[in-house]
Amino acid sequence: MIHLKKISKIFYPKTVALKDVNLHIRPKEFVSIVGQSGAGKSTIIKILTAEEKATHGNIIVGGWDITDIKQREIPVLRRQIGVVYQDFKLLPKKTVFENVAFAMQVCGIPSKRIKNVVPQVLKIVGLKEKLDRYPHQISGGEIQRAAIARALVHRPKILLADEPTGNLDSLNTKDIIDLLLKINEFGTTVVLVTHNKDIVNRLKKRVVLLDSGQVVSDEEEGKYIL
Amino acid sequence: MSSILRVLKFATQDFFRNFWLSFVTLTILVLALFSINLLIIFNVIAKDAILVIEDKININVYFKPEISEDQVQAVKKYLQSLIQVKDIVYISKEQALEDFKERHKDNPKILASLDELDKNPLGASLLVTAKTTNDYPKILEYLSDPQYDSLIESKNFDDHKLVIERISSITQKVNTGVATIAIIFTLISLLIIFNAIRMAIYTHKDDIMAMKLLGATNWFVQAPFLLEGVFFGLLSVIVTIMIIYPLIGFIQPYIGSLLETDFNLINYFNQNFVAIFGLELLGAILINLVSSYWAVSKYVRV
Repeated sequence: MIHLKKISKIFYPKTVALKDVNLHIRPKEFVSIVGQSGAGKSTIIKILTAEEKATHGNIIVGGWDITDIKQREIPVLRRQIGVVYQDFKLLPKKTVFENVAFAMQVCGIPSKRIKNVVPQVLKIVGLKEKLDRYPHQISGGEIQRAAIARALVHRPKILLADEPTGNLDSLNTKDIIDLLLKINEFGTTVVLVTHNKDIVNRLKKRVVLLDSGQVVSDEEEGKYIL
Repeated sequence: MSSILRVLKFATQDFFRNFWLSFVTLTILVLALFSINLLIIFNVIAKDAILVIEDKININVYFKPEISEDQVQAVKKYLQSLIQVKDIVYISKEQALEDFKERHKDNPKILASLDELDKNPLGASLLVTAKTTNDYPKILEYLSDPQYDSLIESKNFDDHKLVIERISSITQKVNTGVATIAIIFTLISLLIIFNAIRMAIYTHKDDIMAMKLLGATNWFVQAPFLLEGVFFGLLSVIVTIMIIYPLIGFIQPYIGSLLETDFNLINYFNQNFVAIFGLELLGAILINLVSSYWAVSKYVRV
């Protein structure tokens, strides 16, 4: 599903964010990428969404070699991946429904289908009753659930979650992680980037530990040990 | 088609959901357009004022009393042949005397001294109006030809020379001044509009980035902003028209009494409606489109 081959990323002038990273994530896997701040976790997400280009190496996503992806192909790639961010990135002047619908609208999906699908997805994340609310009218946990709904609504095969619980309390954190597990059970490959030790240790899933831009451990049922 | 409808919907939604931002942007656009229209008003009033003054300028050519009417008519015919001359009024000796008596009807001493004289002491005269104030010196130059100069008692050359020179100088200065102010105003307006749109789009910076990360194409992100720019252009011109017409309706009576002219500012705006507001609409839309495109382009590079 995702194949990183000897990926390096050097930010100008010579900050090494990633160095010779090899990572193979299989379909339907749940992988946690952990490490301290500056370890290169978010850089991997940015490379996978073509926000950043790798300095060296090859990246294959869903069989598509995106190493030298063209500018006009980037939207096509992003529509095949769902991404959840720590700062949510919901559009503040759109309702929960409209935020989720937007991900389908950019794909050119007809309005009739959008009207059918969006309430269903919002029901899955527990926001069916709040689809007319604006982001400032709901809680942090609900905002993140709306963001997850938006990331899922166009049925991506891969869901990237970049510190999705970073701004949430422990109760909402648990809800969000449970939701990610449920999404994974439905067959979506989930890549969770976090530095939250408790979450990772509770999951009992594959853990990739990054340190100074390098993979230092990769265990199938790993734990986050500093 | 659905994509175009979505763009239209997003543009309308954004306009109303960011009401205060839209209101401020629109106000800045209206103020800029209002300033340009004020300048147009000032310009046409200044030009009309100069025309009024110019119309009041003419040259009186007084002939010697002994000069016959035929000789005066010959001079008149010569002057009429000059391209600089717009109009000539002939005042006969008799008419001059009548006018003199009428002017001094309250002064019995002057009237009595006139009666003492056997002959009409006044000569005929010609009232010459030139096409432009710049033509007067040339007309006076033609009249200084000895062939005509010998017939002329006096010309009010000295009286008018200064006024004519001043009017010419004022006209030139007003024209240059108005053109300079127009250029400066337009440039300032363009900069203000450009920055207002950029600021409005800057507030959407994060939204634009989020849209891009969701897989929106540049066109899908940019189009609503460009369309909104067109809305702003159109609305700002409509609001400006709604302000300008009552304003010129209000100042019209003052122009009439101040300049003693029948110049109608409302008619001027009606006659030049398409030229004035059409150009303003075109300019406003164009600057909005350029600034929107430029500002959004900065943030879509994600």
